[in-house]
Amino acid sequence: MPQAGTDVTGGLPIKKGQESEPITSNELRDDDGNLKKQAARFRIYAYDIDGEASYPGEQGIEITRGTKLPDKRVVRDIIWSCHLANKKAAAYNVVNNKGIEAYADGKVPQLRNPEVHGEVDSDYRLNRLMIDAGPRAISAANGSAASFDRCSTATYINPKGEIETLLDYPIRFPEDTNDELFQPSGPLDTLGSMHTDEQGRLLVLASSGNAVGQYDEYGVPIQMTGDLNNVGWFDSAADGPVSALLVFEDGSSEEVFGAWVVCGDPAYAPQIRNVVSVWDDVYDMFVRDLDLQPHLFSKCFGEVAEAYNPDYQPAFAQDIQPIFIAANLQRWTANLPPLALRSHSVVADISEDDDPNRTVMAALNFIRNPNKDETNIGTPLMPLSLGAAGTSFLTVTKTQYFFLEQWSKGNFEKGDAQKLGPGEFLDMASLSNCLGGRYVPGIEVSYTIMDKDIYIQDWKQSGAGPFRIKHYPLTYENLNPETPYLSSGWIPLHNMTDGLQPGDVSKFMAIPWQTDYNSCSIHATAINTDGKNESNGAETTLYWSWPSQRPDAVYVAEEVVNNVLPKQKWSIRGPGTYAVNPASAATFQDPLDSVKHWDKIGIIVQGSNVVNGDEQYSPELYLEVQSQLTAPGDATDPVPDWPFNANPSKKKRGCPRHKG
Amino acid sequence: MAKSCEPSLQLLHQHLQDAVDLEFWTIPFYMSAMYSIKDRSLPEYQRIRTVINQEMLHLQCAANMANAYGLSPKFTPPVYEGTTIPHLDFNLDNPDVIKPYTPYSAEIGPLDELRVNGMCLVEIPDYETDITHWKKALLFATRGEYGSIGAFYRALRRLAYHCRNDIKGGVRQVDYFKAFYNNMPNMTITESGDVGFQQVELLIDLITEQGEGECKAEPVIPPTFQNTADDTEPENDHFAKFNEIKNDLAQSSREPCWIYQGKPRGEYCAKNAALELILIEQFAELCKGLEGLFSGENPQQFFPVMASVGAAVRNCWEHGVTPKFS
Repeated sequence: MPQAGTDVTGGLPIKKGQESEPITSNELRDDDGNLKKQAARFRIYAYDIDGEASYPGEQGIEITRGTKLPDKRVVRDIIWSCHLANKKAAAYNVVNNKGIEAYADGKVPQLRNPEVHGEVDSDYRLNRLMIDAGPRAISAANGSAASFDRCSTATYINPKGEIETLLDYPIRFPEDTNDELFQPSGPLDTLGSMHTDEQGRLLVLASSGNAVGQYDEYGVPIQMTGDLNNVGWFDSAADGPVSALLVFEDGSSEEVFGAWVVCGDPAYAPQIRNVVSVWDDVYDMFVRDLDLQPHLFSKCFGEVAEAYNPDYQPAFAQDIQPIFIAANLQRWTANLPPLALRSHSVVADISEDDDPNRTVMAALNFIRNPNKDETNIGTPLMPLSLGAAGTSFLTVTKTQYFFLEQWSKGNFEKGDAQKLGPGEFLDMASLSNCLGGRYVPGIEVSYTIMDKDIYIQDWKQSGAGPFRIKHYPLTYENLNPETPYLSSGWIPLHNMTDGLQPGDVSKFMAIPWQTDYNSCSIHATAINTDGKNESNGAETTLYWSWPSQRPDAVYVAEEVVNNVLPKQKWSIRGPGTYAVNPASAATFQDPLDSVKHWDKIGIIVQGSNVVNGDEQYSPELYLEVQSQLTAPGDATDPVPDWPFNANPSKKKRGCPRHKG
Repeated sequence: MAKSCEPSLQLLHQHLQDAVDLEFWTIPFYMSAMYSIKDRSLPEYQRIRTVINQEMLHLQCAANMANAYGLSPKFTPPVYEGTTIPHLDFNLDNPDVIKPYTPYSAEIGPLDELRVNGMCLVEIPDYETDITHWKKALLFATRGEYGSIGAFYRALRRLAYHCRNDIKGGVRQVDYFKAFYNNMPNMTITESGDVGFQQVELLIDLITEQGEGECKAEPVIPPTFQNTADDTEPENDHFAKFNEIKNDLAQSSREPCWIYQGKPRGEYCAKNAALELILIEQFAELCKGLEGLFSGENPQQFFPVMASVGAAVRNCWEHGVTPKFS
């Protein structure tokens, strides 16, 4: 969304050491051309809640070092702890066309790496397949930092509020059980690091993104056989709980409600919002399942079940406009046809003063209705990108659709008064920057992010507030270097509500993430629907998978002259990307190249923040910068106009015995 | 029977304008029927959707041909009254062929038997017309004198051939559909003279094979003219699709409420009247946009206006208002 007082759209990383100044394109890589890391910054907000919490709540105050609380206590130090793990290789397969349903009825999908013998929680498997860097704790007052690497020592905040070393913590990395690994980008010996800034806020940096593979018995790196569940491979994505202990000048201390960090894929198009973000999905779930806003959705409004309040007025600026703007932003990462470009542009220009009945969005005529059986209807309904497991096309969430319905009836609030407090706004903003809707399996997180079982459900009574992932209690007692400390952890639809362990979010993602990122460019709809075309279009017609996070077709900044756009190019292009079948265009044809070259892919940045000599770019443009895959002007696979088609599949051979 | 005419560029221009009028007439008529269906996933809805898309393509083809011959077509809101379907005089047809599709209506309304009969009649194959070679096709001064749309398009082909030396390729050609038809060589007239005429013929073939016009042994669209993007029945022509809908309606056990119904105009509230007016205004804007589009003006808002008309039609139905276009 546009940032108040500037022409810069939100989503860009912030400059190191700055409060809110976004980077420019020449700050994406270091002097050696390496992609820089973006830190996740954690802040603490305090709320004075009398009775049950509500949402939105009060404004709250940010707690930093030196903050004086209303009760006169002054914060002397903030001790932060975090525990990162990657359980992907030890977990279950991602099942393309089932999604979370693969865990229904007490069942689970097939285990990854099945040749590593044992049950899912066997020490044998976890020792070999789980990456566990263990916990680290740092003091903001000391300015200390910690690395989640193989050779450092685990630390944690003990019950006395002190940082204590855990010499016996069973840190696990692939090197521990593999004499030799194929390391195309370098070793996988860290999951990241943590630091604090001058105010005492926490900064978590991901690893360098290396993926490593085992060798087969012939000494060859194990062949990558697909996009989601590659045997013998490890990546360095990670996730885990973040905790903080406030230490006051009077010697007392108080633990804050914890957070969660996910170290996932780079944000290749940080300003391109998906029409459905993780925020939209999580918010929708909290509204409908966890009583987030009873005045919006509750039993009061339904004859039998809960329902939306027909008199609720969404805010145009916060609840409606982001959807309209997101639709228009897709043009910068997908090869949309002229009809869509012009129409999307008009949608983005709809203002709160327009009569909905006079707009192109009247009657929501072009929006797929999530309450009806419309997920297989493609054109002309929107969004036109691929949908969740088992469905052809994406839909907005039910809450988003309700907001749109209210707007189309003229029942909405005008004005840009922010309903959320600063802390709540950060929750919304950070999750809005993540890909929602199509969790097959997703980019940062998967379908489990919409499962209420992972959250603190008594958020009103506990004081935790909404959207907070519940931490599984980890006491770090009875440690044994030979025995894995973490278990396989939480899985969905199995009535597990005791919290998540480190690694329990990212384990539902592809392994390694690079092969899935590479593959999930463009597909026919049948990829979601068990190989059968269920859509209202040709079975070979291709659609975009995750264009807002995984750019497909882009405009290269160096090829833009005087703000005149050149032809689009595939984001992944150049040697090794030439496709015989358009279905595999815009990808590295050898998946191994995706783990070697993922960091060479360009980033999409708004024109206002592109630095390229004397060229001045319009803030209306979002252009690819810093690609290392080709030089400007190099010949590459052309980007066709949409719609475009895959080559038809070869007919399955019939059984000779059945021939007449 | 009316007296036949001699071929001339003026007569061709008149026929090309008629072709534009005919194709344009179908769009609000079909669109209103489609948007009256509440459930967008129903096959009836989807079939009409694909036909409307092809009628838009036909409109583009007719207008491109017109521009190649030096005529920028005019666009005026069509008239929907009684049983008057432009260019069709069913009195000239074999009653046995027409009978299954009577009674019918040419008035804007919800999808029902009257409407679907009218839709079938627009697309009915040319069973009865003189099937002499198109080079000997009879030419008439007014479109209503043709017994069928097939006869009309044969006459158009003859006129186009006669005037082939007047073709100027690359003049005000519009091409928004090529990506939907991968097997179609070209949808514009880029060349002049004889080669340009071959392109004109291809567009006439496209129109008549997909929809209105020729008598065919099988209602199968040749692969060249089949939609390759967003049609699950790309091989079926318009008449076949509308007959499917007609048969579905006859056998349907659905509740009547699956279709939006318009209330009497006398019962319109102020909001209803406003929605009706919005549609009329937006359709007028669309006519203006189309005229600009095919006269080289490249109106930037053409697509949004076109989409807004569809939205306004749906909005009318959802509020019990029968769409009105002028």
